Amino acid sequence: MIKSNLFRLFENIDGILMSLVVFIITLGFITLASASQQNIFLLSNQIINISIGMILLLFLSNIDPRRFLFYAPYLYIFSLIILATVYFFGFESHGAKRWIKILFFNLQPSEIIKITIPLTLAWLYHRYQNSINYKTHLIAFIILIIPCSIICYQPDLGTAILISLSGLVIIFLAGLPLKFILTSILGLLIALPYIWSSLHLYQQNRVLSLIDPGRDPLGTGYHSIQSIIAIGSGGFFGKGWSYGSQTQLNFLPETTTDFIFSVYGEEFGFIGTFGIFIIYFFILYRCVFMAQKMQNTFSRLTTAALVFTIFISSFINIGMVSGMLPIVGAPLPFISYGGTSMVVSLTMVGIIMSLHSHKSLIAN
Amino acid sequence: MDLYKFKYTFKKRLNFIFGLIIFIFLILLVKFFYLQVSQFDLYSSLSKNNSIKVIPIPPIRGQILDRNGEILAENKLIYTLEINPEQKLDIYELKNQLIGVVQITKNDIRKYKKILKESHYSSTLPIKVNLTNIEVAKFVANQYRYPYILLKHKFSRSYPKQESGAHFIGHINRINKKDIINLKKQNVYESYLGLDHIGKTGIEYFYENKLHGFPGYKKIEVDANNKVIRTIETIEPMHGDDIALSIDYKLQKIAEKAFGNYKGALVAMNPENGEILAYVSQPTYNPNLFTNGIDEANWKRLNDSIHKPLLDRVVSGIYPPGSTLKPFVALAALENNVRRPPFSIIDKGFFKMPNSSKIFKDWKKGGHGEVDLVKAIAVSCDTFFYGLGIELGIPKLNKVLKRFGFGEKTNIDIPNEKKGLIANAEWKKKKFNKKWYQGETAITAIGQGYTQTTPIQLALATAKLINIKNIRPHLFKKDHVSHLKKINSKYLESNNIDINLIKEGMSLVTQEGGTAAFIGRTSNYSMSAKTGTSQVFGLKKDEIYDESILPDRLKDHALFIAFAPSDNPKLVVSIVVENGGHGGSTAGPIAKKVFDTYINTGNL
Repeated sequence: MIKSNLFRLFENIDGILMSLVVFIITLGFITLASASQQNIFLLSNQIINISIGMILLLFLSNIDPRRFLFYAPYLYIFSLIILATVYFFGFESHGAKRWIKILFFNLQPSEIIKITIPLTLAWLYHRYQNSINYKTHLIAFIILIIPCSIICYQPDLGTAILISLSGLVIIFLAGLPLKFILTSILGLLIALPYIWSSLHLYQQNRVLSLIDPGRDPLGTGYHSIQSIIAIGSGGFFGKGWSYGSQTQLNFLPETTTDFIFSVYGEEFGFIGTFGIFIIYFFILYRCVFMAQKMQNTFSRLTTAALVFTIFISSFINIGMVSGMLPIVGAPLPFISYGGTSMVVSLTMVGIIMSLHSHKSLIAN
Repeated sequence: MDLYKFKYTFKKRLNFIFGLIIFIFLILLVKFFYLQVSQFDLYSSLSKNNSIKVIPIPPIRGQILDRNGEILAENKLIYTLEINPEQKLDIYELKNQLIGVVQITKNDIRKYKKILKESHYSSTLPIKVNLTNIEVAKFVANQYRYPYILLKHKFSRSYPKQESGAHFIGHINRINKKDIINLKKQNVYESYLGLDHIGKTGIEYFYENKLHGFPGYKKIEVDANNKVIRTIETIEPMHGDDIALSIDYKLQKIAEKAFGNYKGALVAMNPENGEILAYVSQPTYNPNLFTNGIDEANWKRLNDSIHKPLLDRVVSGIYPPGSTLKPFVALAALENNVRRPPFSIIDKGFFKMPNSSKIFKDWKKGGHGEVDLVKAIAVSCDTFFYGLGIELGIPKLNKVLKRFGFGEKTNIDIPNEKKGLIANAEWKKKKFNKKWYQGETAITAIGQGYTQTTPIQLALATAKLINIKNIRPHLFKKDHVSHLKKINSKYLESNNIDINLIKEGMSLVTQEGGTAAFIGRTSNYSMSAKTGTSQVFGLKKDEIYDESILPDRLKDHALFIAFAPSDNPKLVVSIVVENGGHGGSTAGPIAKKVFDTYINTGNL
């Protein structure tokens, strides 16, 4: 009886996706052990983070997806409220006000937005699925733009871009007319100079240092250069676990969070990078496959949006450490150290699993 | 939009984004391939340089000693406060921060700025040198307040004899931009890694390669904060060689003291092997001022002084030889069978140019009576030499002068040596585009005119006269100075009979009737010498040279060359006393003190 109950707890877990996620988390943990120079405190913290995330994943996978649908708008409003709270009760770290202390957690509300935006937008399109028109898209834009501008002001450009992108992906998937997309892109190009001038100086510098990292090798470009050196010096086979000199001698900044992939690249080489890309591909493939199978608008859009959020943040992070994108400060899902990022990523997987296993519960 | 169409669009666009993501993956993969495989060598070496640093260990500069081991230049451990100029710190703010701990004076700041502007530095620059023990203790106690200021202990050059011997010992100074260009040209730049100083003058300059040594290095692994993780390899530096000089510091001191307040130069040389025993150039300066970069005020004071204390008069001071040239002129006459004794003249106190009404006066009113070549040297008879010069002619004279090293560098192991000058008609034509007059030949024969010599040339010429062979003056204590450019040490063409006549004349100089007779009266050994007085400025016609009414700087230079004992010379001395008046009376006593000391302290 107990055994069967326990089994039923796991019945909504998708075996393939779960094994891939566990694999990548394990790989990330191994890398973190090296990146943190085997800091036991930090590693045990990460184990706690993973555990919380896993429990949440397990819990969410068993949730009736109709609840997500029902709660989506409330969750959106709730997340807007805590995002606003950051202004009043948040604390600053690294020049940005992003965190808020809840109980003994340092919560990053912008991470929660990563979940609530896809849910809310999916809810919107699901609700008006029979009459989607410009008005629907406009509302979607407004829903998206409010939290994004708040995050921009924190300032956390990386997360703001990430959330905007994942939101735009939903709007795109929901059938935003091509004509409109093309005109918007054109408009964006024209607006670019104004956007540029509204950026913070440090953000401008980051973009500039991306174009030419040698511009300021000890300032903004320093992190980028050191990261590229780390990755490049890893070579084909890598320097071996815990033998990355860039990492171990502290030439790399933020090795446990933003630059953990440089550590990975340095120690596991091109073989390792290639390997992890393959796993990423399978995760993506599995999720897209699941999304295709879904039978209602809400599930499809949510799944697609969540998985693309994960991938967009991965790309931003990997592009950043390899010098293809500016240093914006975005964690690598499943791998970077940090409670919020880990819990949020696993939450997303949990939601996807719930939507997948309860395919038939939401009728069109 | 109907639901079916929605679903269709969704699937199409989902696949599109799926494809887009795959495409981005491929781009990233290519980028990583490029970084990790194609560019691996580049980044691998960058990463190694990142963590492995090579820190040069400077060698300790060799000491300079005199022939008896007396230290002339040494290295003293000093404490300095240094900062890294690249951090662009505000020195005035540092000064304020240091109040009550170490006082940074205006002078220190000026010095720092000067060094920063002019010199090369390997890592940090001093803002304060030579900290006292109390200052060091105070600084260490407060060090946490000054994360940018480094307390360094290092070896600093020190010249314990201060002003004494400054010109030949020389000094070091901070390496400047010009030095770097030179070092790179000579391909020795890497042997100055981690070093800030280089020899600039004197022995410090000439034997830089020996004194300097070769730096070692420490290969260390550092982290991003430059904290040393471990030492990988240490190669000890090769310290510089100590250099023992031929200088006898006791003699040097006596000679300097004998000079008193006079300006001028003195060289005391062993005629057998060319070793320099005393090397005086007055006035002098304190080389210690230069070791850590000289400050503006002191530099101005030294450089702008009309007494030119920085000038090394021994090798760079050029003077008309005056009558000290006469022995060599006489030798030239003998070799050409001109005025060989017993030929003699009756000197009435002047010489009348043949075929001309022009008259050249002797220094002695009324003349010296009957004078032959030997007596002409002893009494320094100008009349005799005017005629001799005219008879001999410039080309034959110059041939002999050249043999004794006039007009040529002696190649002593001291930098910045001047050549001096022996003039002839071609030279004058080229220089002034003017014809050579016979009168000029006459005055050239008594050492006036265009002829210019350095004190070291006079000493060398005298030594050559004694030995009738080529020698090379040097300060490096070694008979065989293999590192110096080889000289042709063959015997000179002069023959003994001629030389002995010259020596006889010179020995009579210090005897009754000679121009330095007082020396013979007061010495317990025999000395041969020649006095000289060279005009600093030409008198106008009918003007009478009266020492008592002339300002000091226009007084004649007193010159003196001598060797003793006469029959077996052990020491040669040449002296120039600027504006000293008469050679015999001013320079003679200085020479005598040097000889007395040398000969009476058992060097016979």
